Amino acid sequence: MVSQFSGVLQLTDLDDFITPSQECVKPVKVEKKPGKTSGIIRIEDDGSYIQLNQDGGIKKLEKAKITLNDCLACSGCITSAESVLITQQSHEELYKVLNQNKVSGSEHQKLVVVSVCPQSRASLAAKYKLQVTDTARRLTAFFKNLGVHYVFDTTFSRNFSLLESQCEFVQRFQRQKEDSKALPMLASACPGWICYAEKTHGSYIIPYISTTKSPQQVMGSLIKDYFAKQQNVMPDQIYHVTVMPCYDKKLEASREDFFSEDNHTRDVDCVITSGEVLKMLEQEGLSLTNVDPVPLDTLLSSEADAEVTGHSGGGSGGYLEHVFKHAAKELFGIDVHEITYKTLRNKDFQEVTLERDGSVLLRFALAYGFRNIQNLVQKLKRKKLTYHYVEVMACPSGCLNGGGQIRAEGPESSKDLLQQVEELYTSVKVQAPEANESVKKLYEQWLEGADSSKSLKMLHTQYHAVEKLNSALNIKW
Amino acid sequence: MKRRLALEARFSAHPDSRAWYVAWSPSGTLLASCGGDRAVRIWAREGSSWLCKCLLEDGHQRTVRKVSWSPCGTYLASVSFDATTCIWRKKEAVFELLTTLEGHENEVKSVAWAPSGSLLATCSRDKSVWVWEVDEDDDYECVSVLNAHTQDVKHVIWHPNGEFLASGSYDNSIKLYKEEDDDWVCVDTLEGHESTVWSIAFDKTGEHLVSCSDDKTVKIWKAYRPGNEQGVICSGSDLSWKCVCTLSGFHSRPIYDISWCHMTDAIATACGDDAIRIFEKDPGSDPHQPTFSLMAHIAKAHTQDVNCVAWNPKQAGLLASCSDDGDIAIWMYEFED
Amino acid sequence: MEIVSGLVSYALAKFLFLSRLSNKEDAGKIKKMEEKVLEVYDIIRTIRDPEKPNSLEELEVVAEECIEVKSLDDDEYLIIIHFKPTVPHCSLATLIGLCLRVKLQRCLPFKHKLEIYISQGSHSTEEDINKQINDKERVAAAMENPNLREIVEQCVIEPDD
Repeated sequence: MVSQFSGVLQLTDLDDFITPSQECVKPVKVEKKPGKTSGIIRIEDDGSYIQLNQDGGIKKLEKAKITLNDCLACSGCITSAESVLITQQSHEELYKVLNQNKVSGSEHQKLVVVSVCPQSRASLAAKYKLQVTDTARRLTAFFKNLGVHYVFDTTFSRNFSLLESQCEFVQRFQRQKEDSKALPMLASACPGWICYAEKTHGSYIIPYISTTKSPQQVMGSLIKDYFAKQQNVMPDQIYHVTVMPCYDKKLEASREDFFSEDNHTRDVDCVITSGEVLKMLEQEGLSLTNVDPVPLDTLLSSEADAEVTGHSGGGSGGYLEHVFKHAAKELFGIDVHEITYKTLRNKDFQEVTLERDGSVLLRFALAYGFRNIQNLVQKLKRKKLTYHYVEVMACPSGCLNGGGQIRAEGPESSKDLLQQVEELYTSVKVQAPEANESVKKLYEQWLEGADSSKSLKMLHTQYHAVEKLNSALNIKW
Repeated sequence: MKRRLALEARFSAHPDSRAWYVAWSPSGTLLASCGGDRAVRIWAREGSSWLCKCLLEDGHQRTVRKVSWSPCGTYLASVSFDATTCIWRKKEAVFELLTTLEGHENEVKSVAWAPSGSLLATCSRDKSVWVWEVDEDDDYECVSVLNAHTQDVKHVIWHPNGEFLASGSYDNSIKLYKEEDDDWVCVDTLEGHESTVWSIAFDKTGEHLVSCSDDKTVKIWKAYRPGNEQGVICSGSDLSWKCVCTLSGFHSRPIYDISWCHMTDAIATACGDDAIRIFEKDPGSDPHQPTFSLMAHIAKAHTQDVNCVAWNPKQAGLLASCSDDGDIAIWMYEFED
Repeated sequence: MEIVSGLVSYALAKFLFLSRLSNKEDAGKIKKMEEKVLEVYDIIRTIRDPEKPNSLEELEVVAEECIEVKSLDDDEYLIIIHFKPTVPHCSLATLIGLCLRVKLQRCLPFKHKLEIYISQGSHSTEEDINKQINDKERVAAAMENPNLREIVEQCVIEPDD
């Protein structure tokens, strides 16, 4: 099976042949105790384990099960995580919940919410040759016809990610004298990059990574905290699904940081990719073109059927551009209207600078794809990295080219398809996050103001270095 | 027509350890070796004996698996099980450690300098092949990470004109790569071996590739251009590689290395049965179905597995080999026409 | 698979060679091989299982019958071992393979080539494991991993009973 995770993650995976979930068991080292042996373990023909005690007794042993968290905490294979994910987070799971809803009484029903990201929407629009807003309305109809209650757009939650990134950068810039690890600030929206940084470079890189949650996880907070209260339901009564351009997002949703012990629920319960939505459509025997559009949902009821809007700054969310403009204004009083990208070694490594009187005030870069991440990390380690901010994404060409996007078919080249998706993605009206009235309202009503402890909890997260395995029993070699 | 492989010298190179690999400098005067003792040694002939001119230590923490000279002969790259690549610069008689390239997740298995001298390729247990670019300031940056193989990548080489990169793997395949836009991409996969491809080599024209494997066979691959008269299908403007000859039945254990002499066209193999064998193409055989004959066979070339064979680039017939027994042997392939 | 069949035919050839010898009543040679088998078995039987406090002999991972010795040359032998891992997960099977290889390399007093396989049908990913434990480069690299080395050392240390 070809792994569908980004190349960054595949590299950390040494496993050659495990078919996980069945074969993968946690080996346990038994210390040799002097004098007595605890018994002999025998495997029966059916594969079960039997312990023969010295007194002649027989005990059936339980097989240890591997959960996704075991996989993620292990510095071994990602393939194991992959097949666990496929059973835990897939469109099949969504179907299961929807079918369950149909047969259970209203008190056991789940409120099903789907949040679609703009990159997936553009991918589906390109597939069906539709306009973006039209695609959004038809997609909403498709999900609702299946029994989904609400369909939202993660562009809305990205407003928070962008605003928080902007503030975080300014704060980091201001404390760079006292805190040697305040800069460069590295973007945190890409889970493939985060996973690689945690597994491979651990505590060395983590301090530089922005603590701002990705749009997917901000949406999770919005749905399980704000929206649940609005709807008067417990967070675990909501089943929250996101539609994303990459498989690595499934790993992000599964992180322990995004699981609430109190409410026994994840901020995002299930992640499906653009390609899996296509599979669902095909399974239903539908084309998006013959689903009748319906008005879009909005999180705040005050808004009428909104038109789809987007952010400037490219298909990976526009982090560099937003942080750059905000920082230029806040730190140096300079209004930046047009940003000029300078392509460096390759098209996935670009630089933006802010200069005054010949001196460089701000130096930002975008680094997409593993090769550029690699050079970035190595330069950072050698203290040769001169950037203040880097928008890091694991996929070459960024999120529009994510591993979960719909692939080119037939004579169409993947390059042409990517260009179409890009054109569609940028075809929508651009709105600055500061200009969104609903976002403003939510900062006041929901988050108790910017920089409050509530906003810190809802909009920021933390990272953890993955310890290298110390038990030799499961080292891959 | 008679051939003979005569032993010229034998010396202990990596005592109490394995000698994994040897490489001749481009001028053919120096021989670099590396091994399980974590060291690289530079050898030169003085009179009839071979002396260790330099000992390159403290670069690697684990076994040094392979070394490669830059085309100018000034730099030496060494790769190790410690996951790093060291770049050494020759300054008169000594070598200094210039830089250490990090990035591979696990053991680096092979390294090769492109003919231009500005690109370096490495491959690793982490299943990837990396292309590095060196600038005027001796700064190395990664220009491509290729994840085409599904397993441990054992060997990487450049085509003589620098256009292609080729790698052999534990996944039994050989992959060919070329530069497209600003990245390297895999353009062809050669399948046919039934086990690990341990090593590969191009002939001097670059029209043929030879591979050796754990399956105890050697395969010769020939490049076909689009529109070839033999009707070998090529996709677009790319070359297509076809296996035109398989040498089986000669080797009784895995074949760990192969070297194709660019002066004499002879092919040497290093085998796990302690032997060195030399093959030559039969004169007048059909270029599309060439036949090769075993011309020389030294059954006990070493006391243990032979890990590497290397033809000298300037002196026709001079061959170096090294083994698990820690020794290097220097041989002369003699033509008795 | 072809490699294995290649081995089988090679083994068969050697066997025929040996049986021809026995026809000539060269029983000395056969006896010598039996001695070699015992020599090999004596070295590997005390290896400890990586997970359990028992030896490979106690767990029936190895037995005398799973060892074949063939003469390659006057003073060199081919040793083929088929072992039966206790549990069907691969990290332990490869670890046992590693222990066998390391201990024999250290303790066998005669020149040899070594092939180690999992006995047929005892493991779901048999071919993959056989390939890995017979790749000398991977084995060499594994033994330079301090954690792996430590556990292998613990398993191959002579029991002090």
